[in-house]
Amino acid sequence: MNNNIRFFITSLAALLIVATHVKAQDADSLIKALDTATGPAPVDAVFKATRVVLSHSTETQKKHDLDLRIRHHFGDIGGRFGSAHTLYGLDAASDLFIGLDYGITDDFTIAVGRSKQDETFNFSGKYKLLKQQIGGGTPVNFTLLAQMGWVAREPFNESEFARYSDRFSYFFQGLISRKLSSRLSLQVMPGYLLRQYGSAQGDPDNLFVLGFAGRMKLTKRLSFVADYTLVNDLSRPADLTEAYYNPLGVGLEIETGGHIFSLNFMNSEYILENNFISNTKKSWNKGGVRFGFTISRNFSLFKSKHQDPEKQSKIY
Amino acid sequence: MIWSGRTIKLLCAAALVCSVSKTNGQSYTGSKLKVGIYSSTPLEDIRAVSEKGVAAVVVKTRAVVVQVPVKTLEFDRKLMQEHFNENYMESDKYPYTKFKGIIDPSVDLGKDGEYTLNVSGILSVHGVDQQRSIPCKISIKEGVLTVDTQFKVACADHNITIPRLVFAKIAETITIKVSGQLSVVK
Repeated sequence: MNNNIRFFITSLAALLIVATHVKAQDADSLIKALDTATGPAPVDAVFKATRVVLSHSTETQKKHDLDLRIRHHFGDIGGRFGSAHTLYGLDAASDLFIGLDYGITDDFTIAVGRSKQDETFNFSGKYKLLKQQIGGGTPVNFTLLAQMGWVAREPFNESEFARYSDRFSYFFQGLISRKLSSRLSLQVMPGYLLRQYGSAQGDPDNLFVLGFAGRMKLTKRLSFVADYTLVNDLSRPADLTEAYYNPLGVGLEIETGGHIFSLNFMNSEYILENNFISNTKKSWNKGGVRFGFTISRNFSLFKSKHQDPEKQSKIY
Repeated sequence: MIWSGRTIKLLCAAALVCSVSKTNGQSYTGSKLKVGIYSSTPLEDIRAVSEKGVAAVVVKTRAVVVQVPVKTLEFDRKLMQEHFNENYMESDKYPYTKFKGIIDPSVDLGKDGEYTLNVSGILSVHGVDQQRSIPCKISIKEGVLTVDTQFKVACADHNITIPRLVFAKIAETITIKVSGQLSVVK
């Protein structure tokens, strides 16, 4: 009996010593218990910019960030309007665009812009509903885009724009993307365009479209980007007298901390979805491809107000 | 039940050993350490701070571990934060910055007081380990260990390359500040 108790107490003491010893020794396990950064975390920078080539990406502006975008589409490289006579299209500007995108919150962006084509003004809202997560969370990003186009030019004839509302077009798109690896992101985006003017004989006013886009990073700051929008063979009939083509754009995107330069080739003459989805009349096969570029500059507004001085950055 | 003298002796010894190991073997942990970075060039000052640093100090072994999830560092410009994680720190690949070291043995951490000491060990940033000796101010009072330190880290030491285009805006050497409180683990 006595021996038993003695044995029990000895073991207990030994156990206690061992226990405190183990508990005390392992700083790594103490750290592991404190780590709060486990569980699903959002995936950042699925695309570097809010546009891929022609189409939008799922990215939105960061809160209070203003993006000034200038985009240029030149003329046909080949074919009747191209070749050395126009310096492979560089003499012509098929469309010009200047626009501002502003982040109301990290997920909600409003934008305004103006294109040369039809003197179209655009007003758009873009809302990020879902954000991809790593560690077993949401698998994809999901962003909604709504864009109104307003044609400001004089009518070509008396019957055009008979009603003022004919000047407006509306484009709605759901964008779904996934960053598959740190280099590769893919996107699919169904959309619907409603318009009141400009449709050719037999072409429906409203078009359902399906777009695909991708980004492949070549280095940390240089990416190959491409997008393609299916317009024909969906809601557009195959037997139109005038030939329309599906817009395809490819390009290189260079990011330099606040600036993004995008150098592209595409068959679309026009820059705004409301114009290029319905009106791409050039083909990659017939010299209708053109060079284009975008310069994007990001400005952070209201950044240092009511902020912790330890977070403040300053540009001299 | 009869307690023999030997058993009681043994019990006392055990209690003594336990109590000794308790004072000597105590540990401190903290989970809200402030970790700040500061880059200064004639063109631009950049600051970011995280309040989610975690730390542990084991008095007996003098071991110290400090860790911060890189993505918890907040910048006033979110795009800059994105570039920091995406282009420089590669935070998806290397989510933590960690320091693991041993406190200079000349200081008795069992007693309250204020100490200026060196902690030497491995600093791991961007997946690259570097041997460092970091000067540190520590004060211990009634079970609370307060730490305050500032040191410099060269980007090149951790394979963080700054492209020529932004070379004038980002310092080659970044100042790192760590401060906060750790309390005794019960």
